[in-house]
Amino acid sequence: MDFTFRKIAEGVNLYLYETDKFATVTVKVFIQNSLAPKTAAANALIPMVLVQGTKSYPTRMSLAREMESLYGCVLGADIDKIGERQVIEFYFDIVAPSLIPNGRQAFREGMAAFGELIAEPAVEGGVFCHDHFHKEKTNLIKMVDGLINNKQAYAVWQAVKNMCRDEPFGLYKYGERVQIEQLEPVPVYEHYRQMLQSNPIDIFAVGPNLRDVPELISSWPWERAAVKELPPVVVKEDVNEQEIWETQDVQQAVLVMGYRTAQRYLSPDYYGLLVANGILGAFPHSKLFINVREKASLAYYIDSSLEGSKGLLIVTAGIAPQTDRQAVDIVRRQIAEIQDGSITDDELARTKAGLISGIKKMLDDPGAIIDRNLIGIVHNELRSPQTVMDRIASVTKEQVQQGAQGLKLDTIYCLSGQKGET
Amino acid sequence: MQLFKTITNDTLHCVKLANGLPIMILPRKGFQKKYAVFAVRYGSLDSQFEVAGKGVVKVPDGIAHFLEHKLFEDEAVPVFERFAKFGASVNAYTSYTMTAYLFSTIDFFPEALRELLHFVQNPYLTEENVAKERGIIEQELRMYEDHPGRRIYRNLLNALYHRHPIRLDVGGTVESIRDITVELLWECYNLFYQPANMALAVAGDVDPTEVADIVGLKMEEWKYQRQEVKPILPDEPDQVSQPCVEQRMVISRPRYYLGFKQTEYCTGKALLKQQLAMNMIWRSLAAKSSSVFAGLYDSGLINDSFEASFHGAPQYAFSVAGSETDDPQRLDRELREAITRLTKSRLSPEEADRMKRHILGNYLAAFNSLDYLANGMIAHLFNGTDFLQIPEALDSLTVDEVNLYLSEAFKPEQSAVSILLPEQ
Repeated sequence: MDFTFRKIAEGVNLYLYETDKFATVTVKVFIQNSLAPKTAAANALIPMVLVQGTKSYPTRMSLAREMESLYGCVLGADIDKIGERQVIEFYFDIVAPSLIPNGRQAFREGMAAFGELIAEPAVEGGVFCHDHFHKEKTNLIKMVDGLINNKQAYAVWQAVKNMCRDEPFGLYKYGERVQIEQLEPVPVYEHYRQMLQSNPIDIFAVGPNLRDVPELISSWPWERAAVKELPPVVVKEDVNEQEIWETQDVQQAVLVMGYRTAQRYLSPDYYGLLVANGILGAFPHSKLFINVREKASLAYYIDSSLEGSKGLLIVTAGIAPQTDRQAVDIVRRQIAEIQDGSITDDELARTKAGLISGIKKMLDDPGAIIDRNLIGIVHNELRSPQTVMDRIASVTKEQVQQGAQGLKLDTIYCLSGQKGET
Repeated sequence: MQLFKTITNDTLHCVKLANGLPIMILPRKGFQKKYAVFAVRYGSLDSQFEVAGKGVVKVPDGIAHFLEHKLFEDEAVPVFERFAKFGASVNAYTSYTMTAYLFSTIDFFPEALRELLHFVQNPYLTEENVAKERGIIEQELRMYEDHPGRRIYRNLLNALYHRHPIRLDVGGTVESIRDITVELLWECYNLFYQPANMALAVAGDVDPTEVADIVGLKMEEWKYQRQEVKPILPDEPDQVSQPCVEQRMVISRPRYYLGFKQTEYCTGKALLKQQLAMNMIWRSLAAKSSSVFAGLYDSGLINDSFEASFHGAPQYAFSVAGSETDDPQRLDRELREAITRLTKSRLSPEEADRMKRHILGNYLAAFNSLDYLANGMIAHLFNGTDFLQIPEALDSLTVDEVNLYLSEAFKPEQSAVSILLPEQ
């Protein structure tokens, strides 16, 4: 499969993938912005305010009623963080026109509402409705405060925040409380209009019969100016290990180890690193799972994940109290093993097969078919599933070793019930 | 093999083997993944039953779930490994009314399907591995104690019900699992794991004849003794056990849940109608399209975590609704008032029509998900309903019928409240 490309306006790219496989048509619109202290909170609040109403459906209730009438059409917006970009994501999902009465008409109506959600929000005195804005500001603050309810997510974020405190990546996806508190409707609205005019916009559509899509999207009120160039990620070369221990009233300790990687999405040897991460901790057969959980019985869960845009590899484990030192040692040893090339043929083969079947499974889900391109749009280089599968298949043991050799431990963070020192 | 057209113009292939096992195969062209689920009509509610020639048998709670864990044990190669070899991922779940074993794979589907049928037919139970499992399940049950969402739900069902086993976690209790022995596991396995009490569903780009042949051959190997079992539910009073239950936990905001138990349990077409009607009624109160939702949201009483659902099967019927909130008392008052208002004003034909469209759309969109299709077909079969009949049942449901359900659904004496409060 491959997307076909159409340019809609200056810096507005449309990618279409027509297939009869699905019972729905899915469309997503991504507006990129750089992750920066001045705009992070505003970018997080914007999607929450936008879904409260549009020009023709000024309340969330009226919009939701229209969506129900269009056979449970789904329409919404959210914020993503990828590398040092914040991406506002708009999504639209409707039953394939051929399956419902007056389907083509329903599709056109739904797409019109979708366009309004993005480009023609409900306004009051030329800016976001006062009520919508302030209610969602309160909701966003409560959401940010609620991070503490999920210990694992809280711990990972504390690790990353400390690791990248002098880099944009250390900014929270939803902004910080103090930044949110200062937001006002006029500047946030103007900021959003600016983004609509000059930030890169990528649109993806997947489903049967997309023939009306380019025309419908072209008819949205685009007012594009010159496209803004967004900066690449900050790369920290000088890495020193730091350790952070935090105590809270928790039953299970959470250990996070943050590594910097030498390769990123655009590096020629990126897929060696991707496979190295798989061998280390992405599967039930991976070294971390086998050694930390199965053999040493230290962890309830353990895995590693790769942020290929910023270049981070994060190991996360739920461990019994007082076992953090032992767990850290075992993780270090597993990475050293991969660096030394102590990888069995079976490990390499299973990991590559696992990554490839993961990609194939994505192709059964229209949302996933689109989302896998996020990293590509951020780097101006989309890669087809076939390209990625071929590159994974060709990775050698030496390339995996190389990928692992570029790993530098930056931060060890542990959230536990008692003092970490044993 | 019998063929049935779906609303999406796919063809469902159904066959019943001589031993009574129903097989449902839904080919979906173009999908990479192939998905199979092998399930038994045996869940956490089945801890008391009548066995032909033996009388009433009562066993400890949590056996169905315990068995589900244990079937992954194998004398030679662990079951997970057997599937990993084919790049397939295997899993299982136990609900109130069924236990399901499933896998998905891109390649080697026939091989993986044989593995699925093999391990479910061949338990490997020893004193040692059963003792070890008790520890693991106890940890699992204790972990749920710390999970706010599960805690508030469990507390609510305990407040609603006096004796019905739905009060308990699917896994049973820390105490009940201590009484589970190798003999009891075998007894329940032999009684319930019988082809006629099971079903198999497959979805994906598969050849139906080939699938049916593999299953037919593999089932011939199965040695089992035919048994007649009739599960028995204890008598449950109409009134709730406790109108309100509160607990404190480490959370950032209070949470509130309201529940209603219904005394009429339905099956077949009546159950499908009840499910659809209750779904529409709760949408009218709790969906984003609802004026009730809008009012509560605008006053800051609830946030997007507000949800409501009806749970109905031949063995139970109840509804739950709730949200994070800063003021559980006020939310209780306003939500109950809104329910009273709706019961008086009733659903309008326009509203009912809009909701029917929404439900039909969701049903159609589900054809994107092989997992949903396979599991849905089996759950409906066990409930005596028909997954393919949903569009027709929806179409024939009138607004008057929906309002009849509405007039019966919300009796104050059949309601209870569960609240979680942050630690002081």
